[in-house]
Amino acid sequence: MSWQTIIIDSFSKFTGKVITFLPNLLAMITILIIGFLLAWVVKTLLWLFLKALQVDKRSERWGLSQILSKGGSAFSPAHLLSRFCYWVVVLSTLILALNALEIEATQNFVAHFFNYLPHLFAAILILIIGYLMAIFLSQAALIAAVNAQIDSAKLLSQIVRWFLIILSLTMALYHLGIAEKVIVAAFSITFGGIILALAIAFGLGGKEWAKNFLENLYKRKEKEKEDQDRISHL
Amino acid sequence: MEKAIPEEIKEVDLLVGIPSYNHARTIKQVAQTVSAGLGKFFPEAGWILCISDGGSTDGTPEQVKKAQIEDARLIFTSHPVHPIDKIYPPYRGILGQEKAFRTFLENAKSLKAKACCVVDPDVKSITPEWMKNLLQPIYTDGFDYVAPLFARPKFDGTITNSIVYPLTRALYGRRVQQPIGGNFSFSGKLAAFYLEKAVWEDDAVRLGLDIWASTLALSGKFKVGQAHLGVKIHEAREKTSDLATMFTQVTSSVYALMGEYQDFWKGEKGSQAIPTFGDPQGMAEEPPSVNWERMVRIFRLGAKDLMEVWRKALPNESALWLASIGRLSDGAFHFPPDLWVRLIYDFAVAYRKGSVHRDHLLKSMIPIYLGWVSCFIKENQEASAQEVEERIESLCRVFEEMKPYLREHWP
Repeated sequence: MSWQTIIIDSFSKFTGKVITFLPNLLAMITILIIGFLLAWVVKTLLWLFLKALQVDKRSERWGLSQILSKGGSAFSPAHLLSRFCYWVVVLSTLILALNALEIEATQNFVAHFFNYLPHLFAAILILIIGYLMAIFLSQAALIAAVNAQIDSAKLLSQIVRWFLIILSLTMALYHLGIAEKVIVAAFSITFGGIILALAIAFGLGGKEWAKNFLENLYKRKEKEKEDQDRISHL
Repeated sequence: MEKAIPEEIKEVDLLVGIPSYNHARTIKQVAQTVSAGLGKFFPEAGWILCISDGGSTDGTPEQVKKAQIEDARLIFTSHPVHPIDKIYPPYRGILGQEKAFRTFLENAKSLKAKACCVVDPDVKSITPEWMKNLLQPIYTDGFDYVAPLFARPKFDGTITNSIVYPLTRALYGRRVQQPIGGNFSFSGKLAAFYLEKAVWEDDAVRLGLDIWASTLALSGKFKVGQAHLGVKIHEAREKTSDLATMFTQVTSSVYALMGEYQDFWKGEKGSQAIPTFGDPQGMAEEPPSVNWERMVRIFRLGAKDLMEVWRKALPNESALWLASIGRLSDGAFHFPPDLWVRLIYDFAVAYRKGSVHRDHLLKSMIPIYLGWVSCFIKENQEASAQEVEERIESLCRVFEEMKPYLREHWP
């Protein structure tokens, strides 16, 4: 075969591949344009709908806005929800667009992604619920501790908050299948270690301190009983 | 032991209700005293005593039998007590009281009772005169609601005197001094109104039956009075001894009712005295010494650690004011009445808005309440009972003067 034939053959093969691939590329570009346009329409319509329902005002009343701002979000709940939907549509568009190329590697990626999606949503849900519970229960602990005259009420409330955040983070990572064994081991070692350290401190190192602490606690309780209001509050 | 309305009785003049749940130690005495009072002061009237029991296991029904109330004058029914009633009992401590009250109102309706009265089952200081003072204004003078007026040591009833009385008075325009005293009476007309209005599952009815009954009588423009009943001594002083639970139940009932009857109270200005029946009686006991420094300590702890929660609920100015008094020493500690009133209104607004979880909101109010009470006790330690009454009266006037602030901020 002459070198001219090889060149012509190679060029015709390349042209053939490009011609075969071109419709897929065009399909991908079309999907991307329509997808982004759809995402923008969904975002705008949803935002107008949520605004009409006065979701922001209601969220303020339910304390959701405060939780979001505390979590570092600069957006209102209606804005956040519409943006979330925008990105869901954009993400779906990107995946569809990749799929339209009909390349084996991208198709495998898309299949894996869709298999992983339920785990991702579950993990996000665990994190959101965990965070909300951490805020709610740490506030409850703080108020109860102040009313019980515990001087380190804030510390107690922070312990409750971080325990719940770490617990939900661990559960979310476990659900995502990221270093499952390491996560469980780390969690067990950390909390087991804390308990062991406390036990050793109470049992050996801090024997006297523990004794004094318990004695003072008992005396304080006794004193509180004596100090209790003899007035009827009702 | 169930005993329905005797068939031959179609109508009664007076109906007295006693809800009970494991009150074997006191129910006999209470039933006998009520019966004696009715016989003594209303010899011509037809009356019936209704006892509704929540399934006592301590022999309460047997004690009722021992009271030997004439058969035709006694109805004994039972009402269910659910596990939730036991887990979270109302501040009066009578489990399932709202179910007993419902049965009582239905009896009042079917018997066309002219005057009705409810009495606590564990009140040891009850006398026959209670029946006269509570029922006569309704039966003979055309009143619709009579609240009790108990003689109390000067620092007793701090939730009533600092919150419930002044707030109810400023809101609804009439001076019912003990709207959460239990042991109240009402007309057949008001009984029918209660029956029509009650949402029995509501916490305001389940937990704050007496404030609910008072508020409906006031907002419904019924003819209201109050009656001196002497001292009130319960078998156990307060069944729900936990201040946090008691405080939360009372304030949540008052605030919830505020939301429900806002159309009425927004239009009310000032307040009017109401007729008082019976003779006032002196205190039975000297006021006990109260450790107000302990209360200040809790307030300071709150000002240090709960400011974050308060800031979510209160306007900035109120929060700053609280922070500044949190820094005062014991000797200089002073809680201004106008700040206290402002805070009660601010918390009412926050409760309405729901900007903080309601249970958290009300529980976070306790250190502030203790701060106010400690200042009140500290500044009135040497004051006579009369002077303390005057201080409460002046606090009530501040509540009335600052009502426009509430109207302005109410959402």
